[in-house]
Amino acid sequence: MVKVEFFGLYRLNYKMKECEIDAADIMELFRKLNEMNPVYSVKELKNSIVIINDVNFNNLKKYRTKLHDGDNVLIMSPASGG
Amino acid sequence: MATKYGAYCGRVIKIDLTKQTWEEYPVSDKDRKKFLGGKILAARILNDFIKGPIDPLGEENVMVITSGPLNGTGCPSSSRFNVSAVSPLTGILTSSNCGGGFAMAMKRAGYDAVIITGKSPNFIYLDITARGVEFKDAEKFRGMLTMDTQKAIGGRGSKLVIGPAGEHLVRYACAVSDDRAAGRGGIGAVMGSKNLKAVVATGTGMLEYYDEERLREIKCKWTEILRSHPLTGEQLPKLGTAALLASMNQKNILATRNFAAGRYEHYRNITGEEMAEKYLIKNKGCLTCPIQCARVVDLDGMTVKGPEVEIMGLMGANILNDNLYDIIKWNYEMDELGMDTISASGTIAFAMELNENKLWDSGLHFGKTDNISQILHEIAFRSTEVGDKLANGSRELMREFGGEDYCIQVKGMELSAYEPRGAVGQGLGYSVSNRGGCHLNAGYEVVVEGLGLTINPYTKHGKAQIAIMFQNLMEAVSAGGNCLFTTYAFFPPFLFRKPNWFLSKAVNGVLPYLGGVLKIANKLPGMLKVNLFTMLPHPVALHAATGMRLTMGDLMKIGARGFNLERSINQRLGITAKDDKLPRRLTDEEQIPGDKRTKVPQAALKKQFYRGRGWDKNGFVKKSTLLYYGIAHLDDIGSRELESEFEHRMKKRRRPARAAKES
Repeated sequence: MVKVEFFGLYRLNYKMKECEIDAADIMELFRKLNEMNPVYSVKELKNSIVIINDVNFNNLKKYRTKLHDGDNVLIMSPASGG
Repeated sequence: MATKYGAYCGRVIKIDLTKQTWEEYPVSDKDRKKFLGGKILAARILNDFIKGPIDPLGEENVMVITSGPLNGTGCPSSSRFNVSAVSPLTGILTSSNCGGGFAMAMKRAGYDAVIITGKSPNFIYLDITARGVEFKDAEKFRGMLTMDTQKAIGGRGSKLVIGPAGEHLVRYACAVSDDRAAGRGGIGAVMGSKNLKAVVATGTGMLEYYDEERLREIKCKWTEILRSHPLTGEQLPKLGTAALLASMNQKNILATRNFAAGRYEHYRNITGEEMAEKYLIKNKGCLTCPIQCARVVDLDGMTVKGPEVEIMGLMGANILNDNLYDIIKWNYEMDELGMDTISASGTIAFAMELNENKLWDSGLHFGKTDNISQILHEIAFRSTEVGDKLANGSRELMREFGGEDYCIQVKGMELSAYEPRGAVGQGLGYSVSNRGGCHLNAGYEVVVEGLGLTINPYTKHGKAQIAIMFQNLMEAVSAGGNCLFTTYAFFPPFLFRKPNWFLSKAVNGVLPYLGGVLKIANKLPGMLKVNLFTMLPHPVALHAATGMRLTMGDLMKIGARGFNLERSINQRLGITAKDDKLPRRLTDEEQIPGDKRTKVPQAALKKQFYRGRGWDKNGFVKKSTLLYYGIAHLDDIGSRELESEFEHRMKKRRRPARAAKES
């Protein structure tokens, strides 16, 4: 199981802080999130900022990044202002 | 004085509190075209008064409240006004920007700017209307909190008031208008030192515009641009600035434990998302603002203003506090007492580290929060020895007790919540900012170094040029009367909507290497003779409102002129290259031990910045730069009036003599 935490607009729209999902890679994770709550399509989720165990998925294998039991995935929206 | 330009009132007044008199100050249309308004026009006016170091809390300090030409036009997010003076916290120029309704009220009363000089013999407030200025007794408001003062003054006018902190000359006391604050640099203490509790502006006058129909069209289009941009249309309205906190933590730029680290393990408890779920009542904004970034939250049944990201970071991670309720409460208390939340929080964190290192026992400890409310009260009233010392800011504490390496301030002003070792361009900005450790005057480069965009935060490439460009842009936008958030449309929306797209990644990758192009644009901004409305609607709106024909390049040039003028005034106040310096913790200690990239390469970046700005190696603005921006030989605006009066009198005297001769 992978722990998924939501931040920014994703958290507001999913109306949850975090959840646990069984997924082999990021693409599967997106599909399962969409099945769980269709508020975001897989295409839209591809535009999120994804951090896997503190590493941006762009620096890994992006959507093909493998996930393992106990991994921590943050799904964030871009933010600015202050 | 009238003006040929629309959207200006054409009047600036100078008030002498000592004599309790007022007169017009003859700012000309040439000045308006060159310095626009806001902080840049304020610097131009202060240039006449500040000839060398002064006591910021003495009678000789001068406070200038300026509006911008777009205030009152109904353009989106155009209610910001500026208050400038010599700061009691830093001893150099400060410019404090504030939202709310005061700018519009001042312009409806018929004034583009109000200059306040001298010191009142008794405790007063100013009532400014189209008829002039009344000096009213404020003794009954003494000691009142900021909201109570505004209520007690009553009437329809807009108010700018101080709280107990300003009255007791806390060096980072702010001035409050509605529930917004002119926060940084101790403007509240300047008012307090002048025995001035409040300034009230009331008016019903209407402004005239150069092309009203065009302006109406521009307002609609501009509002639409902001509403459809992912930052100003979605993130800021829904989550406010506080939404940044999680991103900051992720990018190692969340100031933690007095800037000893860039991450806080309990950050989840103090995020904007947490505030939205547990405390948010509604979002709110200044006049004519479609962004509505302010939060209205519930605090024990009261409806109060919610904290911004800076205070959530500085009163959260930076003092190792993960209780969001406490942060909301302290934010409310500091607003009511009338003190800058950033400097107060930074000073408290420094005192905690001094205590930990057994240099000064103030009773403050990292993670201990039960005495903070009491300490804030003691600061505002200077009622105890600890409160009295904390009220002077962290630099004064450092001078007395030591801890120079971790006293997190620049030129006396405490840094905001962005830890610059995770965004070195922001670090450069902090060190060279005109008002001290201010994240906005720094150029707010952290936006592209990890918050909004994701350029390499550790590289030196292009950082100085990006800082210069953003500083110029923000100076000019602020001078026009707009909120800085209107500059976010400068970034194409796809960068935020599709951050993982190849084109977005390409922009992020290439941007630092565009230093050469930016260098030319920064050196010769006047060459940029275009207007891209969707990126920067400001010059087009300014043209429709005032009649000044401006391009993006012209606007950038005005911004650069303002930045250089402020620097040259600061030079007179003693600022040199040695003052453009971060504390050693941020330049010499690695944020992530073993990773050499995680410290600010200050010397190299400063060198690039000085060269890009046209300053010499000592940090002085070169003569050629002053000449290019037309600020090498500025006359004294005040003496124009004197000259014309003199001439007027001479003419009067000559007339009867000539008449006698002729007869």
